[in-house]
Amino acid sequence: MKIIKKNVFEGLVDELIENDEREIIGVQSKDSKYVFDRLEKAEGLELDYDVTILPPKKYFMPQRETLVEYETREGLEMEPVNEVIPRIIIGIHPYDLEAIKQMDKVFADSPKDSNYLEKRENSVLIGVNMQQTSDWSFAGSMGTATVDDGYDLMLTDLGKKYAVEIGSSKGSDLLEKISEDVRDASPEEIDKVEKAKEEIKDEFDKELDFSPQKLPSLLADTYDQDDFWEENAEDCYSCGTCNIVCPTCYCFDVQDFSDISLEEGERMRQWDGCMLEAFAEVAGGENFREERAERYRHRYMRKGRYLYNRFGDIACVGCGRCSSQCVPDIADPTDIFNKLWRGKDE
Amino acid sequence: MNEEDSPYLPESATILNVKKMAENEKLFEIELDSGEALNHDPGQFVEVSVPGVGEVPISISSSPTKEGNSFELCIREVGNVTGVIHTLEKGDEIGIRGPYGEGFPVDELKGHDVIFIAGGLGIAPLRSLINYTLDRREEFEDVKILYGCKKPCELLYEDEVEEWREMDEIDYRETVDECPDDVCWEGNVGVITTLIPGVDIDLDNSYTVVCGPPIMYRFVLQELKEKKVPDERIYLSLERRMKCGVGKCGHCQINGKEGEFYVCQDGPVFNYDVVKDFEEAL
Amino acid sequence: MKPEERPKAAFFDFAGCEGDQLQVANLEEKILDLLNIVELVSFREVMTEHSDDYDVAFIEGSITNSHDAERLNGIRENADVLVAIGACATIGGINSIRNVQDFEKVQERVYGDEREHYEAWEKAKPAKAVVEVDYEVHGCPIDREEFLHVVQSVVMGREPNIPDHPVCVECKLNENVCAFERDEFCVGPVTRAGCDSCCVNEGAICWGCRGLIDNPNEEAHEEVLEEYGLTAEEVIKKFDLYFAWQQEAREDE
Repeated sequence: MKIIKKNVFEGLVDELIENDEREIIGVQSKDSKYVFDRLEKAEGLELDYDVTILPPKKYFMPQRETLVEYETREGLEMEPVNEVIPRIIIGIHPYDLEAIKQMDKVFADSPKDSNYLEKRENSVLIGVNMQQTSDWSFAGSMGTATVDDGYDLMLTDLGKKYAVEIGSSKGSDLLEKISEDVRDASPEEIDKVEKAKEEIKDEFDKELDFSPQKLPSLLADTYDQDDFWEENAEDCYSCGTCNIVCPTCYCFDVQDFSDISLEEGERMRQWDGCMLEAFAEVAGGENFREERAERYRHRYMRKGRYLYNRFGDIACVGCGRCSSQCVPDIADPTDIFNKLWRGKDE
Repeated sequence: MNEEDSPYLPESATILNVKKMAENEKLFEIELDSGEALNHDPGQFVEVSVPGVGEVPISISSSPTKEGNSFELCIREVGNVTGVIHTLEKGDEIGIRGPYGEGFPVDELKGHDVIFIAGGLGIAPLRSLINYTLDRREEFEDVKILYGCKKPCELLYEDEVEEWREMDEIDYRETVDECPDDVCWEGNVGVITTLIPGVDIDLDNSYTVVCGPPIMYRFVLQELKEKKVPDERIYLSLERRMKCGVGKCGHCQINGKEGEFYVCQDGPVFNYDVVKDFEEAL
Repeated sequence: MKPEERPKAAFFDFAGCEGDQLQVANLEEKILDLLNIVELVSFREVMTEHSDDYDVAFIEGSITNSHDAERLNGIRENADVLVAIGACATIGGINSIRNVQDFEKVQERVYGDEREHYEAWEKAKPAKAVVEVDYEVHGCPIDREEFLHVVQSVVMGREPNIPDHPVCVECKLNENVCAFERDEFCVGPVTRAGCDSCCVNEGAICWGCRGLIDNPNEEAHEEVLEEYGLTAEEVIKKFDLYFAWQQEAREDE
């Protein structure tokens, strides 16, 4: 563990903004909320934030992204496209680091998705331990309030200084630039960091009443409680908000766009959501998940069970974005999971 | 970006032949511009691209045993992409990705009777396996084909069906849901399930392979159950919405109390015993 | 496309502000792209010539009296393809606010003492309530890119790609702070996307100009609006700006 003064860290960030070829991204405020966005100056950083509107996933899998370009003037020509902008992303909370680890597995699964992986490989992740928590978060219950890996550098606020844990050579390379101002942490400072990490786990208002490891079997047992799913889905808009703001949702739609001459164009992917009505509809009109309740159940099953079956991770990291942004307030995983848990023996 | 790196980049291919088969269906013979064979298994599918319009998953309708390196797709006009494909002609270029998915378990079927039950466009994926068994007839025991469609004019692969009718080495039966008075039709009239009771099925030695519209499965499976056909001896080919074909986009997932499947990777061919309890499967 | 193969296109306006045609006139250099695929024979905002020989008719504005209806029927007979552009033509638009008001008062407010000289329907209607409409370009005003996309689809005989999900999708993709989190109210959760949530991007709210999605959860939205402190009357007003005709049509179904 290393220690640097906050003003040194800010100087490093300004130096990177000024001279590094990479794009520097940091958490900033937007109206009353926070977002990851391109940083103009280090003083714009808001590392004492609760949660961002969208997770940092957008830098590896953008909301809209070109996969293939084509032209048809002299026969059909198709080229793969991957717009990779190397980036340093500052201020990622532990639950989002966990989500990125999960997405890395999804996109590295054969066949590899190079559009994601190349962007990911060209990114440096600077995490920050939470100082405040979102009212809707339950990262403490999901074991994602802190992480041991998944970052290149990890910051912990110690008043006028940051404790810095180094996760990779990409991270240590950054510290090289300010090596004179970096020192080893003292035993007391290490204790302080450990204590801060322990304490944050109890700072969450929302909680899961049981171990998240029990989710896959709980969800298998409650899959066919149709009345429960229908009742809870009644007020669902099918607006996809809970999907789009989720750090572990990665479903996408693919569409072609051509210029008006119809001679050239591109094939783009865009974030999609399993809550949207047309998600499972085929040409010809058959919709394999037509009811709101079926789609509503599908999301919870996917978070707590299906992706676990496939990749071994509980795919909810407890960030609380889905519930905080759901207008009819029906998307809170702790509410649904706890109700299922309480009702399982009835 | 390296071309081999993108699973989303189609290979260019050229249409060698187009044949109208029915009011809404055409058969396209296609060859990859690389000149190489597609190397598919019966039952697998490809993603067909019309740049500027989009991509659609289409099951491969020809057998890998077919001569030459071309392959065939039977395409029904149901949307934008298939609508444009229907305007294409010999010599036009399209994009192809694949083959993808799990096809029919050909090796498991060898040495057994095979009963095909096809409804409407369901004949398209089955034809890849039907022609495989006909090309390697000695490797299979009895072959029976039950084929049904709504009206005689909707019958696909008419030339081949004509041959099947005449073949001694297979048992071919057909039916139409209804037949207009002015049309000559010598086959059965009634839904596909009406053909099943009359077929002898050697329960210990046969496999039944079913493909058709979603509504057809329930009735056919019910009929097979009455015949006491073991569930594990039934194979189905299912259709779902697909965007990527490679297990990423999430659209083709089928769920049930028991778990989930991705049609593009775990299917489109499934053993009935494996999927029968999945609420969203059938 | 060869110049002689281009379909002939004409614009017609009914009760509306002509803001949608203005969007088309404001395509600027892209208007040349448009002219590559259609031949304009009638468009009074940009040209003086007029011809009744056209293949594609673009209809702006809502239909508010029998004279309008007669004229629209004539256009329908004349055109191979009829495209409604803008909220007035697609869902009755702002004109349909009057559909839920006392008609005599509406007449008096507009025409005063002269009201008996003007024939007007009690309810404003979109084009599709009077004739068959082949394509629609939603919005108030329409989006220029979407207009071009629809024209391209008309020329190619394809289904245009018009979303059937709520504006919330685009609003979240654009990482906007939700209007409800700013203590405001909007109808984005039941309104058809495709506008790239342009109003909310600028700090405003969604008023629903692109009309309801095919299967909106209106009941849930009414409950939510009431929960957020709107009275039942305010909730209805919130919906009536653009949805008056649509809601009535849904009830009739």
